[in-house]
Amino acid sequence: MKLLKIGISGVRGIVGETMTPELAIDFAAAFGTSLDSGRVLIARDTRASGPMLQAAVSAALSSTGCEVMDLGVCPTPVLQYLVRQLGAGGGVSITAGHNGAEWNALTFINREGTYLNEFQGADVLDLYHLEQFHKASLADIGRILTLDDHQETYWQALTRFLDLQAIKSAGFKVVIDPCNGAGAKYVDEFCRALGCELIAVNNEPTGYFPHDPEPRPRNAGEISAIVKITGARAGFLLNSDVSRVSIVAEDGETLSEEYTLPLVADYYLDKNPGTVITNASASRMIEDVAARRRVRVIRTKVGQSHAIHSMLAEDAAMAGEGSGGVAVRGFQPAFDGFLTMGLILEMSAARQKTISELVKEIPRYHIVKEKIYCPPFKVHSVVSEAKKLFAPEDLLLIDGIRAERADGWVHIRASATEPMIRVLAENRSEEKAQADVDRVLAFINQLI
Amino acid sequence: MTTKSHSLKVSISGVRGVVGESLTPQLAARFASAFGTYVGRGKVVVGRDARTSGPMVKNAVIAGLLATGCQPVDIGIAPIPSALVFAEQSQSAGGVVVTASHNPPEWNGLKFLSPRGLYLNPSQVEEFLDIYHQGEFSFVPADKFKKITAEPDPLEPHLTRLLKALDVTMIRERKFKVVADCCNGAGAVLMPGFLEALGCRAVMINARPDGTFVRDSEPVPENLTEICRAVLEEKADVGFAQDADADRLAIIDERGEPLGEELTLALAVKHVLTETPGPVAVNVSATRAVDDIANAAGVPVYRTKIGEIHVVEEVIQKNAVIGGEGNGGVIWPRIHACRDSFSAAGLVLEMMAASGKTISELRDEIPFYVMLKDKVEATSEEGHRIVGELRRRHAGENIDTLDGLKIRFAEGSVHLRPSNTEPVIRILAEAKTREEAARLLASFRNEILRPKS
Repeated sequence: MKLLKIGISGVRGIVGETMTPELAIDFAAAFGTSLDSGRVLIARDTRASGPMLQAAVSAALSSTGCEVMDLGVCPTPVLQYLVRQLGAGGGVSITAGHNGAEWNALTFINREGTYLNEFQGADVLDLYHLEQFHKASLADIGRILTLDDHQETYWQALTRFLDLQAIKSAGFKVVIDPCNGAGAKYVDEFCRALGCELIAVNNEPTGYFPHDPEPRPRNAGEISAIVKITGARAGFLLNSDVSRVSIVAEDGETLSEEYTLPLVADYYLDKNPGTVITNASASRMIEDVAARRRVRVIRTKVGQSHAIHSMLAEDAAMAGEGSGGVAVRGFQPAFDGFLTMGLILEMSAARQKTISELVKEIPRYHIVKEKIYCPPFKVHSVVSEAKKLFAPEDLLLIDGIRAERADGWVHIRASATEPMIRVLAENRSEEKAQADVDRVLAFINQLI
Repeated sequence: MTTKSHSLKVSISGVRGVVGESLTPQLAARFASAFGTYVGRGKVVVGRDARTSGPMVKNAVIAGLLATGCQPVDIGIAPIPSALVFAEQSQSAGGVVVTASHNPPEWNGLKFLSPRGLYLNPSQVEEFLDIYHQGEFSFVPADKFKKITAEPDPLEPHLTRLLKALDVTMIRERKFKVVADCCNGAGAVLMPGFLEALGCRAVMINARPDGTFVRDSEPVPENLTEICRAVLEEKADVGFAQDADADRLAIIDERGEPLGEELTLALAVKHVLTETPGPVAVNVSATRAVDDIANAAGVPVYRTKIGEIHVVEEVIQKNAVIGGEGNGGVIWPRIHACRDSFSAAGLVLEMMAASGKTISELRDEIPFYVMLKDKVEATSEEGHRIVGELRRRHAGENIDTLDGLKIRFAEGSVHLRPSNTEPVIRILAEAKTREEAARLLASFRNEILRPKS
């Protein structure tokens, strides 16, 4: 079966099957048409199909009368920042984030530098289906330009936002694994700007992923060993466009990616109290952290677009997901891996505590995450059936089903990026979490 | 004539359309994907002329090529003969050139090249278009993608061949003063260097390769007033006007008079036959002067259907030493089997150097005919129908139906044919005097416009 996922902010597929030049041209032409000309910045990660999609997107945008500025290989948060900074009409990020190498995707960014919201996304999708693309006549064909030396603006903004003094005086040693993705080489600049000593692994922008470019403990073995050997303050694992981060403590503990948001929140909310946005699947840890600061947590549907737009609508201080993506409204309305790493380092410097000490201050939960294959056309009905397993009063119907439990919760939902149903359970007790997940999986198996 | 002309032309020359209408990135990417499927991966040369829509179309082409596992070799803006030579020399799997030749600026299109640096022949085109129409392209998975490479010196193979074949020393001694008008097209990237290598003092006009076609790109006399004036002002020995992709050449003599594009071919034929007699291959429309010159040299002339591909095939088949079309497109196989304005210019300079004569003197030695051309708007369908009718009407005369309809008279001829590249019927009339040629032209124009019962 062919795998194509169309979401609010873009489209992803398997290169050579569903992710083809024509699909990319049509979607980009729809996006360009929705913008009504103007300048569009494009960036890509290091996947081998990146140049192909960059060429397709450039041609399409130019044909709708948009001027194209190509940033080349560039992390999405940097693209998003520059879209706003340069007053562009929008941006396109060519990356499949945490998906394996056979995938690629187009994500559309609006002029505010955020992922498209539901209405903007629907607009683009409508134009795509109608195949009514603006066709600029010769005089209005957009130029296609390359933008070099664009990073500097971003690093300046980031270092102004962070407490550079505190981080620099700490003189940290930091291990980072950009997985040979868009973060490769950018992490060198990052550490130079922050006065950290960098030990990098998988730091060549080749697109050869030695492990899945997904920040989570199972992929952090390599940097865990290096953190221990080198006596680094922390290790960071990035996804392929630096929108998500997971952390390795100085003792080598590979923290679940669920820790990224509560750790950053634990620090950031001190000086910038405000509502926190997260999704229906994220760990309860964020509620414990928020409760301490007497701020609210609002849970939305999964996906950066929902999280960010909810953050803006609720005037929240920050937003994040259990997959390691964190945004702070005071910096930019986007999941930003560099900002995330910067805040963790600032936290460790300012509080003069190690990562493992900081982690101890957050109540520990056990989270079990599983996923089970399900044909896309059955997914939503199967998820809906699973309601029967729980008492109605415990149910929150956002993004599938979230059911509150005595010391935890269970969440069942369709994956936004793969033909899977995700089943997650969190509990103070690991056995209980596992038992909850197993029960749901058994139920689903029997349905499929 | 009630059917509306549309702006997309798919033919053996490739595909052309109007930017903002039929020439979309989707179309270009599909054609490129089809081509990538057809050549089966490998290195594919990608060049373009100077049109401003070039980058947009080229990007779409590159996307289609990369997706089908090809390795695009980007040669940037290049004269078309240079692209053809490069495709052969670099042992590529083929090439795609983003160009619409002499069509107005809002057009663009694609031409497809074989590994031998030739345009695809009709049966190759048929195979390729089948793939396009079936829409099943051999897209490769992520791990089979190749990278784009940029070629640092793509014009070098063409220039080297030219300088080896021409008597550079002899030409350099003359220090010719040359005015060259590149139409702000692709020729501008090579003409200055070429003239310099031949020791010419060059005055360049319209030499910015930015696609701002300041004149209609067809190098016909009415489009050449600027260069004619310049030749006189500069007291130049000769003027050369290229078309936008530099495969055709018009010549201006030292008196500031355009010779007429039929003369480009006639001069080239005469000069090459003096040095290396051999068969000549031209299209059915080319001036009778070619036959007169070839007869004098005792060599045969082979005539083909209009269209560079046909003349090229004949040049190859018959081992011709020179060939071309009467539109200023000279084929000198010593360089490459393609129309080449640089071959034409080089041969003319060599001819001037070897003979010690001026261009006007050399022109006077060519048997005199007047060629007048006209075109009448008609869709492909209308055009073929009308020409068919006229064939029947004139069936009893000395006709040649190889391509359209050519009627030969005692000292002249008229040739009518529907164009493959524009929605028009072309008329060419040739005679010993202007009056006679004009009469023939008007007469047949009327025949076309007035449907007889």
